[in-house]
Amino acid sequence: MKDALLEVDLAPGHKTGLLLKNPVMTASGTFSWGFEFARHFDINALGGVLSKGVTVHSRAGNQQPRVAETPAGMLNSIGLQNVGLYKVIDELAPQWAAWDVPVVVNIAGDSIDEFGEMAAALDGVPGVAALELNISCPNVDVGGMEFGQDPVAAGRVTRAAVRKTDLPVVVKLTPNVTDPVALARACADEGAAAICAINTVLGMRIDIDRRRPVLPRGRGGLSGPAIKPVALRIVHDVARAVPVPVIGCGGISTGEDAIEFLMAGATAVQVGTATFANPRAPLDVLDGLRAWLRKNRVSDVNEIIGCARLPG
Amino acid sequence: MIIEDVTLLSTERAYDGGYVSWFQAPRLSARKTPGQFVMVHCSQERTDPMFARAFSYYRVDGDRFAILYNVVGRGTTWLAAQPAGTVVRMYGPLGNGVRLPRDPSNVLLVGGGVGIAPLMDVAEVALKKGHQVVAMMGARSSAQLLDAGAWPREVEYIVVTEDGSAGAKGFVTEQLGEYQQWASRIYACGPNPMFASLANTLRNNGRRQRPEILMEENMPCGWGMCYGCAIFTKHGVRLCCKDGPRFNLFDVY
Repeated sequence: MKDALLEVDLAPGHKTGLLLKNPVMTASGTFSWGFEFARHFDINALGGVLSKGVTVHSRAGNQQPRVAETPAGMLNSIGLQNVGLYKVIDELAPQWAAWDVPVVVNIAGDSIDEFGEMAAALDGVPGVAALELNISCPNVDVGGMEFGQDPVAAGRVTRAAVRKTDLPVVVKLTPNVTDPVALARACADEGAAAICAINTVLGMRIDIDRRRPVLPRGRGGLSGPAIKPVALRIVHDVARAVPVPVIGCGGISTGEDAIEFLMAGATAVQVGTATFANPRAPLDVLDGLRAWLRKNRVSDVNEIIGCARLPG
Repeated sequence: MIIEDVTLLSTERAYDGGYVSWFQAPRLSARKTPGQFVMVHCSQERTDPMFARAFSYYRVDGDRFAILYNVVGRGTTWLAAQPAGTVVRMYGPLGNGVRLPRDPSNVLLVGGGVGIAPLMDVAEVALKKGHQVVAMMGARSSAQLLDAGAWPREVEYIVVTEDGSAGAKGFVTEQLGEYQQWASRIYACGPNPMFASLANTLRNNGRRQRPEILMEENMPCGWGMCYGCAIFTKHGVRLCCKDGPRFNLFDVY
């Protein structure tokens, strides 16, 4: 049997669209700027690549320790260490333009206006295929998750960005709310081309010898296989409720994991923390996805998207 | 990058709490410079612990290499307990090793505890390049010292212990003595307070030796993806795994 068709569109209602040659993307903050991966592996085999979270000005990030391992996962408190928006535009994007894989830039504004300014600055920059709004980072003092926990604020941020750019705008949601569906609806209503779910789950570890939290900020973002069931539930519920595509993210490390997310309603998936444990993880997920589809005689990956959805 | 399932050949006690494990690893043994490291998965399922642990090359011999490590947590406890023949997933070689001079030089190695590990590889490569090598190792007591027999004959090996149970008493960085003048290049590896102390010792007359240090931080990924292993240098934040682990001492301290 022939390999299944893998192409998916993450922005079907949008003027430029966001066509991926397959549904396997990387997750922001787990892939740096893509250059390390491109040096060692075939980055063009991937469906899409996410940049690290970008802020207007460069940031050094948080003090050590920044990470704490947990069963089947990790807590991080990196603090958006990044080179700043203008270095991304001037130095990184021209290199991305040479790749045969769309690069989505993850932006983190300090204010609603700043999201708009960053979207405007990235509009039309060669090498940038779409934007992902980071309203879900738990590790910074200003901005970050505060816009992502209130549907009104999330909608305003979305509108501020959508109005300033022709690029498709993805909004990445935090799971640290009671009703992620309400957030997703607000973002979709304000013009988000797609919703990404989920960012990290707030968590904590205590150093029992020092009798203090392991991470200096106390809390950090939990990622990895440990959060997969949480992510899957939110993706399922959001995909059922919004008319735009959903990107599933959270604990995906195998092709079977990706299939689960697609069946829950995701149009594409992001592989994140798995890449820390297995450098080939995004490629292994893609290989596994392809093998599963072949074995189960699925001719087009789009056929299984949402097939396990419960009636709403 | 090479991702390889390699076979554990042997694990032997090196000192109290320290072990040397040899692996049959045809591809991963081809490290470029001493001071580079490999990421070793210390569980079969690779979920708990989920991430590989970073170990520098301790010795390389053809298509085999060895690591030296202290048993400090679940990963190293697992590793030290595995029988010969166990297949272990690894990836590497990663990071930037030390830069040895081209002309024959006097190379001083300063190791604190298990930080001596990459300096053995530095010593063996330096000898091949025709350098004179002095290795100084500091430890809490004689029980945590590497045996003199572990070193090549040509290496002059000097020990310092905090309790005075072997060699001079005190911290190795305070016992450099005449070797500080003798050395034309200095390479060090150990805990961060040792680097601070070394910088204090060398600050006034050690800059000409351009001391290089091999640093360690918690490294979930080892290749610049997770940004967990930040090192705050005088020139900004760097990643220990990708930008290091070799740093210029005076860029950090």
